[in-house]
Amino acid sequence: MTRTRWIVLAVLAVLGFVSGRLLIRAVGNMLLGGTLFGGNFL
Amino acid sequence: MAIGVLVFTLAFAAGVASKFLVKPAGLQKYDVTWGEGIGTRECDLSYGEGEANRFDLYLPKDDTRDSSGLVVYLHAGGFTTGDKSDDEKMLSWLCSKGYVAAGINYTLRTDGNDASVLTQSNEIKSAMPEVVKAAEAAGYHIDRMAVAGGSAGHALAMIYAYRDGADAPVPVVLTFGAVGPSSFHAEDWGIFGAGTETEEERTAAAALFTVMSGETITPEEIADGSYLEKVRPIAAADWVSHNPVPTVVAYGAHDKMQPFLASKRLVAALDESGVDYRYFEMEHSGHGLQNDDAVYQEWMETVEEYLDKYMPVG
Repeated sequence: MTRTRWIVLAVLAVLGFVSGRLLIRAVGNMLLGGTLFGGNFL
Repeated sequence: MAIGVLVFTLAFAAGVASKFLVKPAGLQKYDVTWGEGIGTRECDLSYGEGEANRFDLYLPKDDTRDSSGLVVYLHAGGFTTGDKSDDEKMLSWLCSKGYVAAGINYTLRTDGNDASVLTQSNEIKSAMPEVVKAAEAAGYHIDRMAVAGGSAGHALAMIYAYRDGADAPVPVVLTFGAVGPSSFHAEDWGIFGAGTETEEERTAAAALFTVMSGETITPEEIADGSYLEKVRPIAAADWVSHNPVPTVVAYGAHDKMQPFLASKRLVAALDESGVDYRYFEMEHSGHGLQNDDAVYQEWMETVEEYLDKYMPVG
């Protein structure tokens, strides 16, 4: 694979990880209240 | 393209899993699993005739001390669900620190009974002498106690500490907990549609406070303010000056289950009483205090500090 492709995959991995954490935080906030950002790391 | 989707999906799943599996390092020490190395446990002891009138006693391994502190921890569940077994880890942690710990059940509100916060608080009051007696019977002389809880349990803990603490079988020297409703001013309870401005709000407030207080409250009483006398027996903040007890509390600023505004009334009452207290506000969190791990850790460390201060072991 080319270097560019590795970078794209790394970006996708970070985006996926962050999205997963944000989803759970959003669901928790919907049920209990809270902000999407701030406080904990995501 | 396909590998990109796979990487994103796997990372997404890892992100989701990390929210559940990774616990902040500073909070892991409170995650204690019960075992015989901690002590012994007596379960489902009776304190009354009701089916729910049961408590569990966690007795520390060292039974040679001249006296012990008792920590009662009351379970959460919106006054309608929950069980003392839900707090096994908290009770185990307290017991591992050398305290006699107790979890008490109370009659939960259902569609088929008239249980209210008032009847629940009275059950808790009636349980305390039995808990102390059971600890004494097991060979632990109790000379002071703390009462604590989460959410509904926290509300009941505060009611006991401030309203009933002066009549406790041993001195109540500390109360701690999180997200417990401590006052019932209709204008604070907008999260449940309650308020004082419109008929709809007053009707919602009257219905909610009737269930919670066990007293019939009308929209007219909401309008003229006379309902406050009826909810007073379950409004812990109104009782702080009656029996000021050192206090450690935590609340989430975006709470959807109990009004954050009510916590401000509690703080005002604690300030006015001059009692030693600490209040932690988690500005990004709701009822689960789920988005402010650093403040949560500080709160738990403060609970431990106050336990050491007011109920030193040994």
